Amino acid sequence: MPSVDFMGKTFTVDEDGFIDSYDNWCEEWVQWVKQQEGIDELTEEHTKVIQVLQEYYEKNGIAPMVRVLSKVTGFKLKHIYELFPSGPGKGACKMAGLPKPTGCV
Amino acid sequence: MAFISSGYDPKEPMKNRISDIGPRKYDDFYPPVIAANKGKWLYHEYLQPGVLVHVAESGDKVFTVRCGGARLMSTIHIREICEIADKHCGGHLRFTTRNNIEFMVDEESKVQPLIKDLESRKFAGGSFKFPVGGTGAGITNIVHTQGWIHCHTPATDASGPVKAVMDELFDDFKDHRMPAHLRVSLACCLNMCGAVHCSDIAILGYHRKPPMLDHEYLDKMCEIPLAIAACPTAAIKPSKVEVGGQKLNSVSVKNERCMFCGNCYTMCPAMPLADKEGDGIVIMAGGKVSNRISAPKFSKVVVAFLPNEAPRWESTCKCIKQIVEAYAADARKYERLGEWAERIGWERFFEKCELEFTHHLIDDFRDPAYFTWRQTTQFKF
Repeated sequence: MPSVDFMGKTFTVDEDGFIDSYDNWCEEWVQWVKQQEGIDELTEEHTKVIQVLQEYYEKNGIAPMVRVLSKVTGFKLKHIYELFPSGPGKGACKMAGLPKPTGCV
Repeated sequence: MAFISSGYDPKEPMKNRISDIGPRKYDDFYPPVIAANKGKWLYHEYLQPGVLVHVAESGDKVFTVRCGGARLMSTIHIREICEIADKHCGGHLRFTTRNNIEFMVDEESKVQPLIKDLESRKFAGGSFKFPVGGTGAGITNIVHTQGWIHCHTPATDASGPVKAVMDELFDDFKDHRMPAHLRVSLACCLNMCGAVHCSDIAILGYHRKPPMLDHEYLDKMCEIPLAIAACPTAAIKPSKVEVGGQKLNSVSVKNERCMFCGNCYTMCPAMPLADKEGDGIVIMAGGKVSNRISAPKFSKVVVAFLPNEAPRWESTCKCIKQIVEAYAADARKYERLGEWAERIGWERFFEKCELEFTHHLIDDFRDPAYFTWRQTTQFKF
């Protein structure tokens, strides 16, 4: 698998740019994905989405359904797309270090 | 080739971004005769296999020439289709829901030159580029999927078997000798993308071995609860395994409960199950979607396993030919394959098609399986 060097850290990623393991997630990873996803500025709202995703993943072992993410964060799907232009899966989950979404996507 | 920008600026991905504009409106592309007579058609006829005429209230006629398409096409081929449309049809054409190509002309005198042109075009290997046919009580195009061309869960190929089977059934593409439509479909795994569950004859990719488990990566790549919930027979449960002295979260699969559907691999990349010898094809028969005479039906499994025989899938072709010939010889007019099998009884269907009945064909999935068994003394020896 390819690796990226960023801000003194090395991350192993797959071909879609998802991190190889949730355990290797760190603040630098967020900065790296931010740059990849074309997000200008990380706001508190971004952080909140990431935090919700990570708490849910640690507790349940899965990423939350979109409706759950909306309800817990209080952000409508439209707003989540404004925060993460690639959407909750490709954008937010990637930034939070969660595994790549699977199924017929 | 060096990079050529389309004008998109990766530094500002949302700048000048156009979204949610949907597809072009269909009537932008109507041939004039279709636009003028929309909603005013009186009747239609088949002039010959592959050629239809629709007559409008105004007396206008539109002649449609249908020809086969491989579905998987190069832009060179699409350009050739466009060239034909430019030459004969004023630049208009359409694709059908079974991926055939239809060229429409407004005068009868234009039909034969069009057919002659279409039939004269061949690939270097000798295959027809645009064989005319696919109408009426014949066998039209095969609805199929991605197979080894593009998908990661297939148990068989799509384009390959479809080519082999259409070669076998080619005469019926250009003929109306069947009692009714005979729809053939293919799906390369039991996700059943397309129409296999509701086709007269269906070809379905099938695994026969349980998934392999990449314990080392499983927890990293997969959301374990999803893999567990993906299993229709609850064969998967969470477990801890030791790999290289490390305790890892993973899953275990009860092999005797696994029926090799591959759903867990869809959800979890660390559970691959494709296997050269294990994988093959299941043949199903008797489905339909129309409401004509009888209600829509699901197709039923009639052959539990045929091996993958790339590149020509001989035993699959032979089996399908057998079913088609038995149906064409025995069914009544307008009778779809499923209606025929139900009228004569499935025990007669197996006899006439010379198919072996094995225990694999007896439903054993949950409560509804019971309703597929025979709770009557009515059967034929």
